Amino acid sequence: MEAVKNALDFSDLPKSELGIAVVVLAFLVSFPAMPHSSFAMATMIQFLMFSLYGMGWNLIGGYGGQVDLGKAQYVGIGAYTTAVMMIRWDVPFWFSLPVGMGLAVGWSFVIGYPLFRLKGHYFAIATIATSLVLKDLFEVWDFVGGARGLEIPLKGSFPDWLYLQFREDFYYYYILLVMFLIGLLYVNAFRHSRLGFQLRAIKDNEHVARSLGIDVHWSKIKAYATATAFVAAVGSFHACYNFNIEPEDVMSLDLSVLIAMMAMLGGAGSIWGPIIGAAILVPMKNYLGDWLGGQAGLAGMDLALYGLIIMVIAAVQPRGVYGIVEAVRARRR
Amino acid sequence: MSLLRVEQVSKHFGGLVANHEVSFNLEEGEVMGLIGPNGAGKTTLFNCIAGFYPPTSGTVRFNGEDITGLKDFQVARRGLARTFQIFEASGDLKVVENVMVGSFIHTGSRRRARRTAESTLEFLGIAEAAGAMMTELPVAAQKRVALATALASDPKLLLLDEVGAGLNPSEIEGLVGLLQRIHREKGISLLLTEHVLEMVMAMSHRVIVLESGKKIAEGEPSEVVKDPEVVRAYLGDHYVKRQEREEGRDA
Repeated sequence: MEAVKNALDFSDLPKSELGIAVVVLAFLVSFPAMPHSSFAMATMIQFLMFSLYGMGWNLIGGYGGQVDLGKAQYVGIGAYTTAVMMIRWDVPFWFSLPVGMGLAVGWSFVIGYPLFRLKGHYFAIATIATSLVLKDLFEVWDFVGGARGLEIPLKGSFPDWLYLQFREDFYYYYILLVMFLIGLLYVNAFRHSRLGFQLRAIKDNEHVARSLGIDVHWSKIKAYATATAFVAAVGSFHACYNFNIEPEDVMSLDLSVLIAMMAMLGGAGSIWGPIIGAAILVPMKNYLGDWLGGQAGLAGMDLALYGLIIMVIAAVQPRGVYGIVEAVRARRR
Repeated sequence: MSLLRVEQVSKHFGGLVANHEVSFNLEEGEVMGLIGPNGAGKTTLFNCIAGFYPPTSGTVRFNGEDITGLKDFQVARRGLARTFQIFEASGDLKVVENVMVGSFIHTGSRRRARRTAESTLEFLGIAEAAGAMMTELPVAAQKRVALATALASDPKLLLLDEVGAGLNPSEIEGLVGLLQRIHREKGISLLLTEHVLEMVMAMSHRVIVLESGKKIAEGEPSEVVKDPEVVRAYLGDHYVKRQEREEGRDA
């Protein structure tokens, strides 16, 4: 009961932020009704997906301060579970979704238990390694289609709510928007929960946290598993939305880095951070990447630009765009 | 039954003997001081008791239970809280949130944790700082918050490692009053190390003196300061000999 209350309790956030949140929400709900290109719709869907990835990342990376660069492995587990179950056993999305989340969470315990013996950069490097190993395994595993990946066959009747097959993108958009809202409420509950407080204490000082009865290792594993559930759920959705998945697409290092980067750019450890980050980087990735790709000799320059952004953020305000907002507000007071 | 029984505890770091067969008992409701010159092994002994690392040999019993070798967070859950000598305030948490982390040891409910935290802050007289960020506070207030966080975990015994360090005399006076209230009104036993001797002497029922990792004296503060071993540990052989000479001349 209290968890529900915590999820709906935004009273500790400034009124101005809540005002902006309501406006943004109104925009998100009405976006499909406005005139838009299909490219803009695809960009919005990606924005919602990356917001959710970032929210997941933020639980362990932001609140817990454990920089995770291996989130793509869980995107992959979610996506592959849904695709394999759909193709081989004709299982609808709504059943494979929890199975995928369950498998990913199970795998996250296997990975998390040894990896959280490591700290800081060593932890980050190890997460990259485990993710890449899993990707390599999938590339040679024929059961899941190897490096060529899997393609989900169309059922032929639209709209298909069981298998999530739609002709128009706005169906996907609204399903994702609902997931986005559930995710946001979950993060809000997490922030107020015992585990949320304990993680923030761990980020502050592990010795002090331990002296207050916090099992640091286990708390990190629990938060990591929770973060995983988010990411795997979006992975499952991704499989249905794209019809086509391959390891290079859903399990690549690029994806892991992008997830972490968006959350950090927006503001790690704040509820809005991952959303702000996705709102900046996803359109930039799509529109700028697209435009640069058309200019001779400039293709790939957007990647260099990401690097520059990260360097500037790290040097100027490690808490990202939201950190800048907070700093400005503190100065005004 | 003693609340804390330390039996023959030794701690070696490679060839370095930081604690050698230290034993003492702390009774329920007692305030005990642990003193000794710099490097005497006070913090090491604290760390062995609190489970920060296991002792090389010996046993620690708390509340009748053998807690030797338990992890620090397990010891904390049994009602033994501590503060740290070096305290760095940082980060994301407001004062009241910081204290709530302590109260979450016994409850999963945010409402209850918040209530405990607020009443603890009030008890320590820093309720008005509840909404501030830790980094905005002066050192003395930060130390009070650290104390509040430990208190909010509702301990039976509080280990205080150099709480007076870095404070000026009037701040120390305030702290002594506060610790005495904690002891009197909450019934919490205290074990404190300090090299600001006045503070320990003013508060403690009994004092233990460590030197080079060994216990060299134990007793009431007024007795311990006269103990020649203790005087030698603090002021050196030279001083003791001179004093003996002077006493001989007087007689």
